[in-house]
Amino acid sequence: MAKYIARRIIEAIPVIFGVSVLVFMLLHLIPGDPVTAILGERATPENVEAMRERLGLNKPLYEQYFIWVGNILQGDLGNTVRGNIPVANEIAARFPATVELSLAALFLSTIVGVPLGIISGIKRNSFIDTLTMFGALFGVSIPVFVLGLLLIFLFGVELGWLPFVGRLTSGVSIERRTGLHLIDAILSGNPRGFKDALEHLVLPTITLATVSLAIIARITRSAMLEVLNQDYIRTARAKGLKGRQVIMTHAFRNALLPVVTIIGLSLGRLLSGAVLTETIFAWPGVGKWLFDSIIARDYPIVQSMTLLIALVFIVINLAVDLLYAVIDPRIRY
Amino acid sequence: MRKWFALVVVLALLVPLAPGNVSVSSRVSAQGNTFTFGEFGNAVALDPAIVTDGISFRVTVQGCEALLFFDGSTTNPIPGLAESWTASEDGTVWTFKLREGVTFHDGTPFNAEAVVYNFERWRFTDHPTHFPEQIFEYYAYMWGGLDDDSIITSVEATGEYEVTFTLSSPYGSMLNTLAMPMFAISSPAAIEAAGPAYGTPAVGYSCTGPYKFVEWVSDDHITLTRNEDYWGEIPGNVDTIIFRVIPNAAARFAALQAGEIDAFEQPNVEDLPAIEAGENTYILMRDPLNVFYLAFNYRIQEFRDVRVRRAISMAINRQEIVDAFYPPGAVVAKTMVPPSLWGYNPDVPAVEYDPEGARALLAEAGYPNGFSEVTLLGVDENNMVTDEVVDVIPLTLYYMPVQRPYNPDGLGIGEAMASYLSQIGLNATLNQVGDWSAYLDARSRGELLGLYQLGWTGDNGDPDNFLGYFYTNQPKPSEGYYYNPEVDQLLRQARTMTDQAEREPIYQLVEQMQHDEVARLYIAHSGVPLAFSSRVSGYVTNPLATEHFKFVSVN
Repeated sequence: MAKYIARRIIEAIPVIFGVSVLVFMLLHLIPGDPVTAILGERATPENVEAMRERLGLNKPLYEQYFIWVGNILQGDLGNTVRGNIPVANEIAARFPATVELSLAALFLSTIVGVPLGIISGIKRNSFIDTLTMFGALFGVSIPVFVLGLLLIFLFGVELGWLPFVGRLTSGVSIERRTGLHLIDAILSGNPRGFKDALEHLVLPTITLATVSLAIIARITRSAMLEVLNQDYIRTARAKGLKGRQVIMTHAFRNALLPVVTIIGLSLGRLLSGAVLTETIFAWPGVGKWLFDSIIARDYPIVQSMTLLIALVFIVINLAVDLLYAVIDPRIRY
Repeated sequence: MRKWFALVVVLALLVPLAPGNVSVSSRVSAQGNTFTFGEFGNAVALDPAIVTDGISFRVTVQGCEALLFFDGSTTNPIPGLAESWTASEDGTVWTFKLREGVTFHDGTPFNAEAVVYNFERWRFTDHPTHFPEQIFEYYAYMWGGLDDDSIITSVEATGEYEVTFTLSSPYGSMLNTLAMPMFAISSPAAIEAAGPAYGTPAVGYSCTGPYKFVEWVSDDHITLTRNEDYWGEIPGNVDTIIFRVIPNAAARFAALQAGEIDAFEQPNVEDLPAIEAGENTYILMRDPLNVFYLAFNYRIQEFRDVRVRRAISMAINRQEIVDAFYPPGAVVAKTMVPPSLWGYNPDVPAVEYDPEGARALLAEAGYPNGFSEVTLLGVDENNMVTDEVVDVIPLTLYYMPVQRPYNPDGLGIGEAMASYLSQIGLNATLNQVGDWSAYLDARSRGELLGLYQLGWTGDNGDPDNFLGYFYTNQPKPSEGYYYNPEVDQLLRQARTMTDQAEREPIYQLVEQMQHDEVARLYIAHSGVPLAFSSRVSGYVTNPLATEHFKFVSVN
């Protein structure tokens, strides 16, 4: 097992290197650069050139790349072009917000999506199945910003039940330990902060969870359907096992592999930036920040974030592969 | 079995809701009178000298003061940290008497040395706190350049509370430029202590103004608190200012309705009636200090004929565009200079919408059936357009890929313009190049080969900032190779004069000349709406957007 993990980590190195080269090249080859983004309407060839020189953007591309990689290897992600703020600090400030929202959304979509998928699989073509699958189709299709704004106007404005701006009410603060407000609030014994953070989490979580919930429900359903047609299920029933036992130990356990895969992928997708949800709910995460940074051609931010996202995917993939061994005893590493 | 699943589902739905049900409007703040402004983005930095964006300036203006201020809702400079000033006869030596008894937020005294320190830091690239990775763009842009290019050749402390500026040549907009928010004076001790971190979220700013920096959580909020030691008066009653980032305009409106914020800038045009009609909300308009235009690239042979340019100008219904796309308060533009600014020429006539006349002019110019392809000419090393035919390309109308205060809908307006043009037989292809950075890049290189949209927002309330910036040092690729040496010469002359009464007729003459030659198509000047909760009073809008929240009261 340890050997397998070590091998996977070594294999990840060329992947990360490849990602870094690719992103660097793509970013620098598309037209526009941070200078025009900063100067805006004031950009003229002369002041663009002068600023490019000051920022080191007129050095050969390979030289810029190696300067950047050299700094990264020394643990320095560089500073933002606009504002000259350390990128590492900015990531540390924002990433926990995205992690918290992603985990909440994954939690919600899993604990709702998996049971719905199982029920639909068992009760194929029943009313509840049709309803669930219609809901899943709806969940996949509804644009995130439409759903988000609907929730805001209904629960935020009309009913006034839930907040919808950011992670905390102005004036409420939670001592920072992990950056995840819910956990920090528990660790520091701050019930008011916990309640406030939880309330702020509700609407964005529902918005963000909808798509992955729908996908998880559909995948679980089809995996269940496939397993339920197997001979060993008939055998299990024939030998007189109870319905629940057949479903949970024989059917669901064997249907788990694709479900775990899709849950892992969903987490990766959620973590790599829920741009729209973060935008609508003013959630101070990395998604919108990365999007804005691409528009502003803030190279150090985009490059660092891409590496981080690549790492996240590698770790999640590894975790999913390891889970396979737990779920399926035939898989050994 | 069924019960078990149902239970799980129900629990799953209930868990996040469990402690909910708190009325948003009942949330009270423990920080005294709080004024919360909804921002559409994160500030870039809070060191006013190194930023260029409106969001950052809206914060720094509350705490960082310059030698002069802009007076209320005007662009007239009035005493700020400088109480009075005198200029030498030839306008190259300016002496400022500074306010005494002012301290920075860090407790250190404000004096002539501090002013000298700031100006030298901005100007000299080898100054110990002019960090190479920081961009002192506005100094370079407003004062002719850094180091030896600067038209300020020295800033000296000629007394404890007196500074003397020496200029290489007279500069007509000296006072207006000194009042700009990027030339606010920071505490030298704070800059030295923080180094490159001055102005970052961890440090904030330390200046002399009515509100002190408290905290900045990136992409979430910035908090300021009332400076109890402020040297001047704070007419409003706000103790705490919070800038909350809410990127989506519809969500900002919802936040205003729900009482989460008290004000925000630039609501969606379609939300304006609802805000206006709302019981607890209202709108204020900021006077237009911008211009939206459609420029010609003079490398297109057809556009070098004034009859073609005039035909295009007559074919476009500016009033319809303003009515359809702009917020109330916007006006059709006749010149580059907005009507509220001195130097505006009220005698320049409006261009009449006249497609018939436009068709006749086109026929006279030799295009009775219009055209959909154009001829591209070459340029020489001095950026002069030559007679050499380089290519034949489709007639293209470039539209802006972003919203700006002067352009609410680049594509929509582009489509309208293309349809007007098609009525006189000009079939233009619409193109947005890429995103904003790519668009600006192509524009600065003169590569928008056709008609292109762009605009300008005033920096300091001086007409030189509109006309001089664009039309001196011609021809240049960034201005579509426009070339009129007389305009160039007049604008340079006006820039070095210090008497406004003498400068004004020169700008007015240039505007008339540009109208006569149809230099480019000026389309609109747009005001900027701001939305408020009715608990807010006293907000004074300013065309430069440098609005001081010290006038604001909340109840």
